[in-house]
Amino acid sequence: MTPPRPYTPRVARKFIGAYRPRIDALEKASGKVQFVDDITLKSRFPGMLYAKVMRSPYAHARIKSIDASLAEQLPGVKAVLTCKDPEVSSLKPTSAGWTDGVDTVSYERMMWRHFRDRRVLGDRACWATDEVGAVVAAESEQIAEEALRLIKVEWEVLPFVLDPMEAMKPGAPVIHPEIAPRNILPKDAVGGSDVFVDKGDVDKGFARAEVVIEAVSVHHNATQASLDNWCCLVDWKSDKLTVMSNSYEADQTRMHISQMLGLPINKVRVISSYVGGQFGRGDTGDQPFFLFTALLSKKTGRPVKFRHSRRESFHDSRQPAIYTGKAGAKKDGTITSMYFKSIGNSGAYADHTMFALKFAPTEITEVALAHIPNVRMESYGVYTNKLPACMMRGVGNSQFNLIFGHVVDMLAEKLGMDPIDLALKNFGHEWGGLPDKSLKAVLGEGARRIGWRAKRHKPGAGPVYDRVKKRGVGFSFHPAWHAEWQEARRGEIRVRITVNPDCSVVLDAPTVETGTGSNTCNVLGCAEALGFLGIGPGDIVWPHTVDTETSLKDCVQTDSAVSYLQSEVVAHAAREVKRRLLEKAAALIKAKPEDLDIAGGRVYRKAAPAKGMTVRDIFRKGDMLPVVVEMGRPPNAEKTGVPYIANFAEVEVDTSTGRTQVLKLVVLNDCGTVMYASGAEAQQIGGQVMGLGEALTEEIIYDEATGVPLNFNWIDYKIATMADMPDIDPALLEVWRGAGEYGACGIGEGTLTCTPRAVLNAVYNAIGVRIDDIPVKPEKVLKALGKA
Amino acid sequence: MATKPGKQARETKKTPIKIKINGQWHEFEPGRDIVPEMTLSYLLREKLGFTGLKVACDEGACGACTVLMDGKAVLSCMKLAAEAHGHEILTIEGLPEDDPVIRAFVAQCEPGYGTALQCGFCTPGFVMAAKGLLNENPKPTTGEIKEGLSGNICRCGCYSGIARAVLHACEENKGGKPRSFGSMHLPIGPSVRLPASTSRPKGRGKP
Repeated sequence: MTPPRPYTPRVARKFIGAYRPRIDALEKASGKVQFVDDITLKSRFPGMLYAKVMRSPYAHARIKSIDASLAEQLPGVKAVLTCKDPEVSSLKPTSAGWTDGVDTVSYERMMWRHFRDRRVLGDRACWATDEVGAVVAAESEQIAEEALRLIKVEWEVLPFVLDPMEAMKPGAPVIHPEIAPRNILPKDAVGGSDVFVDKGDVDKGFARAEVVIEAVSVHHNATQASLDNWCCLVDWKSDKLTVMSNSYEADQTRMHISQMLGLPINKVRVISSYVGGQFGRGDTGDQPFFLFTALLSKKTGRPVKFRHSRRESFHDSRQPAIYTGKAGAKKDGTITSMYFKSIGNSGAYADHTMFALKFAPTEITEVALAHIPNVRMESYGVYTNKLPACMMRGVGNSQFNLIFGHVVDMLAEKLGMDPIDLALKNFGHEWGGLPDKSLKAVLGEGARRIGWRAKRHKPGAGPVYDRVKKRGVGFSFHPAWHAEWQEARRGEIRVRITVNPDCSVVLDAPTVETGTGSNTCNVLGCAEALGFLGIGPGDIVWPHTVDTETSLKDCVQTDSAVSYLQSEVVAHAAREVKRRLLEKAAALIKAKPEDLDIAGGRVYRKAAPAKGMTVRDIFRKGDMLPVVVEMGRPPNAEKTGVPYIANFAEVEVDTSTGRTQVLKLVVLNDCGTVMYASGAEAQQIGGQVMGLGEALTEEIIYDEATGVPLNFNWIDYKIATMADMPDIDPALLEVWRGAGEYGACGIGEGTLTCTPRAVLNAVYNAIGVRIDDIPVKPEKVLKALGKA
Repeated sequence: MATKPGKQARETKKTPIKIKINGQWHEFEPGRDIVPEMTLSYLLREKLGFTGLKVACDEGACGACTVLMDGKAVLSCMKLAAEAHGHEILTIEGLPEDDPVIRAFVAQCEPGYGTALQCGFCTPGFVMAAKGLLNENPKPTTGEIKEGLSGNICRCGCYSGIARAVLHACEENKGGKPRSFGSMHLPIGPSVRLPASTSRPKGRGKP
């Protein structure tokens, strides 16, 4: 492997863009960081009870009758609630749409108000392991589980359907008849109509094309698999409810609980500290278990802890989707028409299916297909009795890239062009011409690093190693995940800077710390902005706990945006800090503020810069009051735009066993501006565990006969370990210029968007046969080669 | 079967279970403090508050609960608490903050490899697995590190950084120079020798 090269920043800055440890590295490496499961030990809450919820053994069933009397008599059981209890059955129907993707909303404004398909602890199970029927609070988890076994349930077992194509057929079992009489999610105001993009005249465009290709790609049920299982503790005393949880959205959780349980907002307190990985899991603090755990706490008058086991943490997933794509072009490679259609398997509940199927492709239309004259896209979300699908790292982008990169590769082959040339000839941002500068940079650098020219050969016609192994290279590219229109929907981002008399700083830039590195970006951005104080990142404290009672509203840890959104506001707040310090100094020095300046922690007259006074002295001799600046700003009104990402893969396929081994991955991100280099590289490298997992090994397997998921554990759901990972070469680029002071763009989610497609294209280059669905398991390769 | 009250045979006082944890012997009463099915991870976390180790899968698949037993890395979710009787357990709380492995995990920011941790949930398990590996093999190659730590899952995917950190920890082990931490003002003392309890697997010390 070539030794890694550090990136070269476009603008040299003192702190931003640095290679350095994370601010929380020592607490984390020494095991001192407390996650919610650690904070909520029984020793800290002696009266604590444990909750366990009943889970459906059937893929589709209704509870006809339920009798919990035996469970209630079991020693150690303190409360049982069932779907028949009025405090449960009176709860409004809800959905996972308690967010418009990025900000706090009310029940009326929730994103998917057309699909309020979830009952909290309902009497109908829509997938095997659905949380339904009854919930128990007991002195221990074992007793709670025992109590669940004692509850007598008479089930009406209903027919089920797992496949979206089957689910759309007349006569298929209907899962949410009141919402979707044919299992097809209705057209909605948020996601748009079924044909949600229709630019130009697609049919004419195909008629004018000299070369046309059609492709299919199938994305499967991958799951977030955060190590930190869902966990919360709810303490509802008299009129006030306190929640500690590992949700990544404190303010939204509070709103959800307040509205669903009818409590004033100030009587709900949500505390979120460190979270052990997020990856989009569980959307945004709208989990039904907060509500039934709260009701148990109210009923017992004691704090109640609810946590998922690993098995239960297989709780949501990426939307599996069947995509078809068609593209037409002139012989010179000018694309005349593109058409994409997707059938998404929503699973048991709508959750964010339409976000994935419509929002992500809509965005790509503006920022990648802007120069294609004719484009049509249509999407259908379909209910089935599988695990529901919500947000997962780069929601919708992974699925769309699987078909998009497929079409590009196939079309280039049919035209006899290098796919890189085809891409640069056709794809680019609406704000620029062709070739797109950002795309050219990521593809050019990727090609160099993987050795594209030397290693690329005709499909299946490369050298053979060890008599049976064939190698190939492939790539895919995508606009970064960073929905600019979505940022515009964020409310204000609020921060507070406190400069103490000794010039030490507390930065309140609340966001739930899930590992993304945004905490370090914040501190580096703050140190940069407060550079005039002559301080560094080590002088800044960033509180790692969000508490809705004492913190400012948290900036939702989503959308790969927190790493720079808060820093942008901090930069504005820092200017105000300087202004106030100059006022303080002016009063002391008997000068006009405009005649003074601050640099390196010293205040001086502009006319005589050599003489001056330290900022500390200004405090010491003045009022000794800290300077506190609180500021809220909506994200930059001038749009940030979307730069490009790309992934290049080299694979080796063993044609005798069908095993695919990835030899090397190059991950390229045009970051706009790198906020924190080590953190950005960690995101690039880290994303490949999930990306490669989706490409090669990760998949939820269902028993077709019963609909029961079979591998809700990490022995059979295979996550890559250190031994499975190839060399990864991360490349940070700064080509695009984002908005604001620093001009950074999000990268975290996009790092894995292109991995599955890059691997699939490389596999095709190696063996000369296309495999349309992931994960690329050995049996699929052997089948494609006609050997199985 | 019916017996008259008070006539029941008195249970003989059970031999206490003794476990040395982070250098201190603890005594537990069987049946009261430790029940037969209790895992070591449950005892350490829920009963004793050693929350550094994490229970993420509870079935031996992820390594987040790794601790050292007599210097060897073990999955505490796959050990019964009673099995630890007479043994020395070391959790991450038992390591000094300037332990070379911890230092190396903190310091990792070498260009091209990312950091050795992000969310930090799996980190204590990785640190302890690395300690166990270095106890057995003080100078592992990158390949041996990959194999040795392949029982641990990092979903944030910091494997490259972790492997580098372990390599650097070995350099420090053999008297290399401690690495600089940039300017984060971290309290880093001089490099220290491993505490005796972790340097080599010892024979089972009887209390």
